[in-house]
Amino acid sequence: MMLRWWLSISTLLSSLTIVLVLGFLLQSSWPLIQQQGIAFIIGTEWYPFESLFGMLPALIGTIWAVALALLIALPCGVAAAILCAELLPKPLRGSVRFGMELMAGVPSVVYGLLGMWLLLPLLESQLNLLTGRTLLAAGLLLALMILPTIMVLSEDAIRAVQQSQREAAKNLGIGWDATLWRVLLPQAWPGIRVATLLATGRAMGETVAVMLVVGSIDRIPEPFYNFLQPAQTLTSRIGREMVEASVGSLHWAALLFCGLMLAVVAMGIALLSDRRRMVI
Amino acid sequence: MSLLPIQHRDALSKGMVLLFALPALLIPTTVLCYIFWQAMPVLSLSFVFGSADGIGFGVTEGVFPQLVGSLLLAVMACLIAIPFALATALYHRTYATPRQQRWLNTLFTMLQGIPPIVFGLCGLVVLVNLFAWGVSLLSGAVVLAVVVLPLLVLNTLATLERIPLAYSEAGSALGLGKGAIIWRLWLPRCWLQLLTGLLLAMARALSETAPLMFTATVFSGVVWPDSIFSPVTTLQTHIFYLAQEGNDPLVISIAWGSAAVLVLLVASFGLLARLLQKLGAH
Amino acid sequence: MFQRWFANALSGVLLAGLLVVSLPAASVTIKVAGSTTVLPILTEAAKQYRVIHPELNLTVSGGGSGMGVANIERGTIDIGMASRPLSEGEAGRIGDTTDVIPVARDAVAIAVSKAVYESGVTQLSLSQIAAIYRGEIRNWRELGGLNARILVIDKEASRGTRHVFADVVLGNPRARAAGATIVTGSNNEEQSVISRSDQAIGMLSNAWLNDRVRAIAVGEDGAAVLPTAENVAKGRYIIKRDLNILVRKHSSDEVKGFVDFLRSEQGQAIVQTVGFHAVR
Repeated sequence: MMLRWWLSISTLLSSLTIVLVLGFLLQSSWPLIQQQGIAFIIGTEWYPFESLFGMLPALIGTIWAVALALLIALPCGVAAAILCAELLPKPLRGSVRFGMELMAGVPSVVYGLLGMWLLLPLLESQLNLLTGRTLLAAGLLLALMILPTIMVLSEDAIRAVQQSQREAAKNLGIGWDATLWRVLLPQAWPGIRVATLLATGRAMGETVAVMLVVGSIDRIPEPFYNFLQPAQTLTSRIGREMVEASVGSLHWAALLFCGLMLAVVAMGIALLSDRRRMVI
Repeated sequence: MSLLPIQHRDALSKGMVLLFALPALLIPTTVLCYIFWQAMPVLSLSFVFGSADGIGFGVTEGVFPQLVGSLLLAVMACLIAIPFALATALYHRTYATPRQQRWLNTLFTMLQGIPPIVFGLCGLVVLVNLFAWGVSLLSGAVVLAVVVLPLLVLNTLATLERIPLAYSEAGSALGLGKGAIIWRLWLPRCWLQLLTGLLLAMARALSETAPLMFTATVFSGVVWPDSIFSPVTTLQTHIFYLAQEGNDPLVISIAWGSAAVLVLLVASFGLLARLLQKLGAH
Repeated sequence: MFQRWFANALSGVLLAGLLVVSLPAASVTIKVAGSTTVLPILTEAAKQYRVIHPELNLTVSGGGSGMGVANIERGTIDIGMASRPLSEGEAGRIGDTTDVIPVARDAVAIAVSKAVYESGVTQLSLSQIAAIYRGEIRNWRELGGLNARILVIDKEASRGTRHVFADVVLGNPRARAAGATIVTGSNNEEQSVISRSDQAIGMLSNAWLNDRVRAIAVGEDGAAVLPTAENVAKGRYIIKRDLNILVRKHSSDEVKGFVDFLRSEQGQAIVQTVGFHAVR
């Protein structure tokens, strides 16, 4: 019975973490909601000194950076997965896969270095930009970061499609092309979807690398789809301002609200990608 | 597309796949090579195991204190998280009702998705300020522990679920209590996989920067932490500070060198985990 | 057997853990944090002070003047660094319990990239600089320099350097800079951006100037003043400030000792070595 008691208490404590974290975030951002309602979420100006806490610039920046990252990483990652699973000879397959798994573990601060010293000068010279610190830079870095994840998980999904399916297709005389598009990919799709969602969650929550290359200026790009301009993301804002805001002030509440938004959306994405709930 | 002969369609598709796949494979490889190429001038045994006096400006070579700091944080985080993760997974497997099991799964899947910077924020207010632990090894380790907890829980759970039910039933038929079943039947059988999960958690803890920046590390003044309430220096934050300089070519090389060391460190845990997995399969 | 091995390993780890946990803090620690402008002074001073007092431990952190003030208020640090005076609100909250002690004099240089300086832009009036930061002047050509867009670098709003800059140039320490292109944080970061660009302008502490980051003279034609040591000492350069440390009134003797060291001859020599002007 001691065992049961111990296990129950520990489980309770660890399950409480998420409740505590969410509760803390909610409680700390409450003063802001009390004072300003929720209009500030779509406010366009972030200027703490004047108590302006518009979230829109950072929201748009985050959405754009993640969207760009997915746009680039998804086709490339899935293509690499197809290459690895279907086209490469067996010995190569293992090493490519292994390399990708290693890449998936590269710390984000190293990507930050790469971004600042390799990517930014490249962007500035190739695209003739005033500054390389743009949403594009953030998007490209994030794409590089989520690429290994998408590739590894998609490859798992494609390999998981039973060999009998491929043989049946061959026996029917369907070429490689049709087998890929009409048999393998549709069946691997749930797994690829999980990979995409996980990658989205990671891209959304990435702080250090984005903070260093996005420009950190709270401004909505003009026009709104111009990703060649410096902008701000939620994580970059938190990372840069979290030590300066005095605890308990409205600024602090606003930053914690940013954190709350990130947490809620990330949790939603994580739930969607839960493999146990995968419906084929 | 369906009007083209099969050979052409095949070639077209294969070509398209190749077109998109090559950058996906080549660019990460190039990036890795670039990191090590830039780190070459600085990488040496004395770099990894030497120490610069208290860092700060005028950075000189040697990242051993940072290396140790990173490892200390990661190890402490895992040590804090393991008992809870193990207990939760064991509870899930032995005593939890199906409803509780679903709840636990949901909770930890959600926890896994939360960006680490959010934990850093909470850690800053609760641990550093409220509990008055200050910027310390302990604060950083607890924050990191929360970051790796869901990983460990889900991993341990997956490991335990692979143990066939018949095994445990045979054990109870022999009169073994739950505790004995866990200790004498389950753990000896799956400790290798549990270790693998632990190594993966270490690799993850070593690569986090944001939650540590303001809960565990300072810019200068610490070489070796003298207690768990002392701040540490880590490879991750060291690289972060250096990234903001970047005029002096020596500083740039040191930054790349530190990055290379960090990548190797994380990779070695990943490699070890992979090795253990292969061993376990036999 | 496995159990014995495991039990031994576990007890070994626990023992090691207990050892680490039970080690008391070997020495008194003085915690310093705040402005990145003052950071080099305190870092070097800490290093030298430790030689005299090896039983003391001094940790120094950046984060910005805002962070220095916030943390002194919270009580989590012993010495805060601020490169600006306290605002009204701050003075109201902590003025009674905190001493503001100047340790150096500094000028906020208006720094431009080397290419800009060499193309002829060697002096600007306050109103011209204000116009650049408000977005009214967008190209160096309009100021007699090269034909290139101006990369306007702003700082995070809580940074002391920005506070002083905005106060003198824009008229209000909390003024907005609508023409800003990107936002940087520490002096290091800003210096790095200016030196890697050919079109940038930014606000930097005097001690961060180098060959690729040049200060321009500030003032009307004929009366423009460069932030040289002499001009700063004689008060001719207008964007100037005291670099302060914030110390609680009832601090420990160790903290008081360190503060005295900073104001002593040796400490002021460090101030000058780092690149600032001593306090008389």
